[in-house]
Parts: sequence; structure tokens; C-alpha cells
Amino acid sequence: MKNTKAKKAFIVTCVAPATLLFIIFMIVPTIKVFNMSLYKWGGFSNTKQFVGLSNFKLLMSDSNFFRSFQNTILLITLVTIVTMAFALIFAAILSREKIVGQNFFRIVFYIPNILSVVVISAIFSAIYDPNNGLLNSILSIFRGKDATPILWMGDQKIVIYSLVIAMIWQAIGYYMVMYMASMASVPESLYESANLEGAGRIRQFFDITLPLIWTNIRTTLTFFVISSINLSFLFVKAMTNGGPDGATEVFLSYMYQQAYTNSSYGYGMAIGVLVFLFSFALSAVVNAATKREPLEF
Amino acid sequence: MKKKTISVLLAAAMVIGTFAGCGSSPEPAAPAEEAAPAEEAAPAEEEAAPAEEAAPAEAEEEAAAPALEGTLKVAAFEGGYGADMWTEVCKAFEASHPGVTVELTVDKKIEDVITPGMKAGDYPDVVHCATGREAGLTETLAREKGLLPLTDVMEMTVPGEDVKVKDKIVPGFLDTLATNPYGDGVTYYAPMFYSPCGLFYDAGLLEEKGWTLPTTWDEMWELGDKAKAEGISLFTYPTTGYFDAFMFALLASSGGSSFFDECMTYSEGVWESEDARKVFDIVAKLAEYTEPTTVANANNESFTKNQQLILDDKAIFCPNGTWLPGEMADAPRSENFKWGFTAIPAVNAGGAGCSFCWFEQMWIPAAAENQDLAKEFVAYMYSDEAAAIFAASNAIQPIVGIGESLEGDNQLFYSVYDSGATAVMGTFAATTPVEGTTMADALFETVNSIVSGDKTVDEWIAAVTEVSDKYRAAME
Repeated sequence: MKNTKAKKAFIVTCVAPATLLFIIFMIVPTIKVFNMSLYKWGGFSNTKQFVGLSNFKLLMSDSNFFRSFQNTILLITLVTIVTMAFALIFAAILSREKIVGQNFFRIVFYIPNILSVVVISAIFSAIYDPNNGLLNSILSIFRGKDATPILWMGDQKIVIYSLVIAMIWQAIGYYMVMYMASMASVPESLYESANLEGAGRIRQFFDITLPLIWTNIRTTLTFFVISSINLSFLFVKAMTNGGPDGATEVFLSYMYQQAYTNSSYGYGMAIGVLVFLFSFALSAVVNAATKREPLEF
Repeated sequence: MKKKTISVLLAAAMVIGTFAGCGSSPEPAAPAEEAAPAEEAAPAEEEAAPAEEAAPAEAEEEAAAPALEGTLKVAAFEGGYGADMWTEVCKAFEASHPGVTVELTVDKKIEDVITPGMKAGDYPDVVHCATGREAGLTETLAREKGLLPLTDVMEMTVPGEDVKVKDKIVPGFLDTLATNPYGDGVTYYAPMFYSPCGLFYDAGLLEEKGWTLPTTWDEMWELGDKAKAEGISLFTYPTTGYFDAFMFALLASSGGSSFFDECMTYSEGVWESEDARKVFDIVAKLAEYTEPTTVANANNESFTKNQQLILDDKAIFCPNGTWLPGEMADAPRSENFKWGFTAIPAVNAGGAGCSFCWFEQMWIPAAAENQDLAKEFVAYMYSDEAAAIFAASNAIQPIVGIGESLEGDNQLFYSVYDSGATAVMGTFAATTPVEGTTMADALFETVNSIVSGDKTVDEWIAAVTEVSDKYRAAME
């Protein structure tokens, strides 16, 4: 009895610091964001005006916000699907096949991940340059030299996809390394017996590799949602700043614009609240939709 | 058992550590507020007067011209002119004001440096930071009524001289919405470095081709057609942000200064008027003559590529400010390149061309601790001593007679008003914030869509009118 009491006290004391830090740096600020979204406030003065849910009402009729929402969802889905597909394929090839220079490829794929977003945006602005850019130069082989250049960063219908490509390029290596790590732990014997049974490479990938690394894929899906929201802000800030004419505005860049440039801090926080709820809900949905019985091996 | 006691003790130490860590964070904010009056009081050897009382008392003090002492916190934006001039000016101020120490913060993103402190109540005493920047700090303070009126600074005598501040400032600079943000005649912003904005071009190219500089828009379109035949575009722009100066000048040229003021104060129906329509149509027509790849590079990452078009003779005109030659100093250029600078051509036949005069602002936050010293510092900015330091870095203040000391390219740029162009000054009146829209987005950012053909002029005017109506409501 005495022992359990002491044990409990010990556990409480051990857990207390982390809990406290969590409350102070996560819970309290979150509650503050929720609270501030109910005020009309520029961010500095003491004259906060309580406006109830008026900020949210305004948001519901703000077409700019909906456009940024659409762009964000487009980025999340496209970047997630394409990155995951490529990362899985590359990981499978690099861990299952014998290729010359395996390590070299692993490093090359991972390099974009250690570059800062500013460097990446500089690289891509060189690639997308309408006159001397890599992309238009290559395309001019097929389109003829005098064809009007494609404005990768200027055409409002294309520009968001130009961002998607940059984000995918940046993310593939990271997820590839993660998938390779879990693929390495799949026992070789499974593949050997599958070989004896006559299963081909593709069959092995879908029936052995994928099910056995499923838990890893689930975790990375949540990562995708969160990092797409965060990284899209950085990419937009560095590459287009929301332009041309708001065509690449995502909700975090819109929130920044409203909270600072437009001195509507309370309104910005209302956007923050929606982003918070949205990413929470999306992660929960993704988690629930991908739930499977974990396979033991 | 001993082990357990030790671990419990260690865990307890961590908990206490956490408390201590958190406890210290709110501390700096509170003493900072109290520390300043103490600081002020101690060196001044006066009664420990709290900051609140100091403000009303300043009028009397000024007459008696007491020795100002203490520490002055100055925050300045590091623009194209560099940071060294600020260090020098602060040193000169310290030298001319014994007992005064200046704590200077200069940064390219000054808002990011001072805002966290300001939110905690630790305000700089003087801030040099212009309107129209992305972080919007200067506008936010105006919208939040967080600025100190500078009307009495204008009445002060320039330190070390016997002229009043307002008499040293070039006439006109104190009557604009860029110095009186509420349009009520009270000065809140002190006008600092100014720069005429207009169209930059390669004078060598025009000479070589035998083209004359257009003075009306009809001549402009003619030149555009001639240039097109030779594969040169008439126009380009760095980013749509530069259309503020460009369109403000057009608006003033189209409808005169009272019309311009109506636009800036969101008068009803002003954007749908005939005069405004002319401006929108000119920009729309200019869009047809714009270098085709401009939009793709009109962002913070690549805007210099658009400026490079002028140096490479691929486009003729580019709206910009006098900092452009400095910004492109190291860029390669065509053989006979020579900077040319002209005002925006007149909109109406026989009218005057216009050049928007852009200037940076200096202001004192209402929550500043050392307001007397701050005012003295602002007044000192207009002394010959300070002006000379700034001018050495090409930062030109609107001080009477400063034009005579200019040399080289600067002489050309700043003489634009001498050659008949009307100076246009001002900006949109400060209102309470309107959520979800800004005039800048509606009016300037849309130019990208006009050039790419995604929006029509009518849609543009309708959108601007809608936003302007919202701001008018917020102003009342």
C-alpha cells in the first residue's frame, strides 16, 4: 500500500514537468487563439472590442478565404497522393532491387529535404523562368523555338500546380527514407517463399510490402496533412506571395495577410481557429479511414 | 530506497525549474514599464514623475528648454540606404545632447524585431518605418489610435538652429494623408526620406532609335506600336505593389488634387466616375503593351528580372522609385545604357504630368516612455547636421533647399518637379480595419489579372467600388 502510494507520487512528479510545459505552451495559447477570434482587435491597443462570432460570420461570406481554402485542399490532396506514390515506388525499388549506386540515389533523393525553402524557391524560379528556364527550354524542343513561353508562375490556371511540383520534389526524399526504414524490417523469408510460389515483383509489393508497412503509412498520412498546411505557407511566401492576384493564396498566408498587413488580428485568429479545427478533423478522418488490424510478422 | 529519494528529488528539481522558467517570462514586461520612469527620474534629478504626468507637462518644459537626459530607444527600418547612417546620426545626436544615450535598433525587418516587445508593453520611443510595408505595423498603429500627435514637434525649434521644424520642411509635405492619416489636420507622421516615383527607361535606347520621350498617352501608344515592330515591349513593372505610386499619379493627373483626395477618402461613386474610368482604361491599354513574361516574374522572388528587361532593352518603361539604379547597380546592361526618368504623362490633353512623391515616415508610439526626448530626436532629424549624414547615403529628406546639394543621377531624379510635373502625395485615409479586404489588393494586385486577361476593366472597377464602400463605412 505504502509502496503504491510512493509509486504514484513518483509518477506524478515525473509527469508533472512535461504536463505543465504542454499546458503552458500548447493548451493555453490555443485557448487564447479561440478567445481572440471573438474580438475586433488590431493586435496592439488595449481597445479590444468583443464582437462574438461576427468574425466567423464575415469569414463565411469572404470569397478570398474560400479561394485560399480551395487552394489548400488542392495542395494537400495532390501533394499527398503524388508524393506518397513516388516515395513508395522509389523506396521499394531502392530497398528490394539491386541497383548500382543505391546509396547515391538515396542521398540525391534526400537532399531537397535539407535545403531551406528559400533555396528551393530560388531553384524553382530558375526552372520556371519563362525565357531561360529549364522547363521552357526543354519544352521548346517539342513546341518550336518561337512558341509563346508558358508562364509557369504567371498563368493563374497553372501557378498552383507549379507550387505542387516544388512541394513534391521537396518532400519525396523524406518519406522515401521513412518507408525504406520500415521496408527493411520486413523479413526476407516472406519474399523468398513468395518467389517460390511464383508471385511477381508487383504482386509482392501489394501483398507483402504494403500491408506490412501499413502502420508507417498511416503515420505519414497525418504528417502529410500537417506538413502540407505548414509548408504551403512557406512556399507561397517565398515563391509567389499569394499572387498573381491571389491565385496561390493558401489559408495560412491569408491569415498572415489579414492579421498583420490588414491589421485585423481578431479576424486572423478566426481563420486560425478554422485551420486548427480543419486540420484536426482531417487527421481524425484520415486516421479512421485507414484503420486496419496490424499484421504481425 | 535511497535511489528513489534521489529520483524524487531530481523530479522535484525539474518541476521547480519549470516554474522558475515560466515565472521569468512575464517578469521583463512588468518591470520594463516601471523601469522607464525610474530611469527618467534618476538621471534627470527631478521628482520621480510617472510617465503619465510627464506628457501634459511637456509644453511648459519645452518653453524652458530643460536639459533632456536619459536613454532613448530608436527603432529604424534599414532600407536601401543602409544602416550606417542611422548609427552616425544617433552618435551625432548623443554628441549634441550630453547625458543622452541612444539605444538603436536597425533591421531590414524592423517590425519583426520590435513587435514582440511592443505586445508586451515595451515600446520604442521613436520608430522610423514607412507605410505600405507587408507587416503593416505603421498602419496598424494608426488604425488602433496608437500614435502620438506630432503637431507640437512641428512648432519646435530645430536643435542647434533657430528655425522651426515646420519651416524647414518643404511646403506641402505636411498637408497629406501620408502625414495626417485621419485627414483631420493633425500630423502623426514626420516625413522622412522622399523619392519621386515615375517611369524609368533607357535614355540611350531612345536616342539610338531616334524616338522622342512621350508626354501624352497618345504619344505613348504610338511609341508602343513603333517599339512593338522592333520586338520591344512598351512597359513592364517589378510587382503590382509599384502601381500605388503609378495609379495615384494618374488619378491626380486625371481629376486634379481634390479628386485625388476624394479617392483617398473613399468618396461615394468616385471609382465609377469619368475621371477614374480614364485611369482604369489607361492601365488596361498599357496591359496590352506589357512585356508578356512580366506577370510570371512579378513576385518577391523574381521582380528583378522585370527590372532587368529595362537594362536589356526588352521593355522601355518601368514604374519605380529613385532607389532603382542603386538596386540594379551590379546588373549587366546594354551597351549604350543610360538611366532616364520621367513623370507619368498627363491624362488630359494639355494637363500636367504627375509624379507621385513617396516618402518614409517617422513616428512616436503613444505608449513611448521618453516622449520629450523622442520629440527632440524627431526635431533633430531636420537639422542640417542630420540631413548631411543622411544625404551622404543618398537618403534625401524633404528639407527646403536640399535639392541644390544633389549630384549625378540624383539631380536628374529629384529635378522632375522642376520640369513641370505636379507632385502627388498621400495615401488611403486610415480607418478601422475592414476584415477580408484591402484597397491595395483590389486596386493594384488586380493589375496582374488585367495583364493576363483573367479580369475585365468593369469587373475591376466593380471590385474596387465594393471595397471602397466598405472602407467609407469604416471611416465614419
